[in-house]
Amino acid sequence: MMALIFATLVVAFALSWFRRPAVARLMVGVCTTLSIGLFLWEIWSPQYGFEMPWLQG
Amino acid sequence: MSFDNASPETHRFLAWANYAFLAAMLAVIALILIAAAVMQYAFGELPCPLCLLQRVAMLGICLGILLQLRNGFSYQNTGIIIFSALFLLIVAERQTLLDIVPRPGHAYIGSAVFGLHMPVWSIIIALCVLIAFALKLAIIGGDHHLETTPVSTFPRLAAIGTAVGAVVVALAVVNFGSVIVQCGINECHTMGYQLLGYTPPAS
Repeated sequence: MMALIFATLVVAFALSWFRRPAVARLMVGVCTTLSIGLFLWEIWSPQYGFEMPWLQG
Repeated sequence: MSFDNASPETHRFLAWANYAFLAAMLAVIALILIAAAVMQYAFGELPCPLCLLQRVAMLGICLGILLQLRNGFSYQNTGIIIFSALFLLIVAERQTLLDIVPRPGHAYIGSAVFGLHMPVWSIIIALCVLIAFALKLAIIGGDHHLETTPVSTFPRLAAIGTAVGAVVVALAVVNFGSVIVQCGINECHTMGYQLLGYTPPAS
């Protein structure tokens, strides 16, 4: 998943460099969606869900 | 105070200042990404998944700026910059809270720089970007002077933006290659590079 996120980001950079802003923005949207998905997957724990009980002492 | 009815010279100066602000922000974030790369390749500090997502967010800010500098002004590009800064703030905040209470199996990854670890620095970076844009909006207002004055009006500034942009594109490519070597197409781990022989533990 991380490799796919960076791949879409590199494609977006290439499109921006070669002056294709509309498609570059579309790739940024894909990259952001994948990133948010991976972020939620990374922080979710079977034990705590999205909560952070260690902060309550 | 409004700059809407300002003279053409004032509009030109505001456009120059705005492009200089964007180029400077691009350069600073490029330096931060270079520092992260040095810590990874020279000191062997592999980035965790949330650290990699913070790099994605920083590169997202850079991409928004690069779009402004190479493809002409658009509020959509400003939206990309602000959204990426917000994403950076959220990811960094979560990682900071994850490791802020010392407990078994949880500690800040990597060395501290000037006493602060990378996720804490990421919070500061994201806040600086957001505050800079908020202040710009509060003081100058909209960016309509950029719509009428392309960056090519200032050839030296455009050349600097292109040069720094090329460095950022190279950094994105290097990070992509690095992620491929570290993670392959699997989950990322900080114990070693999977394509160089490290086998992650079965979960």
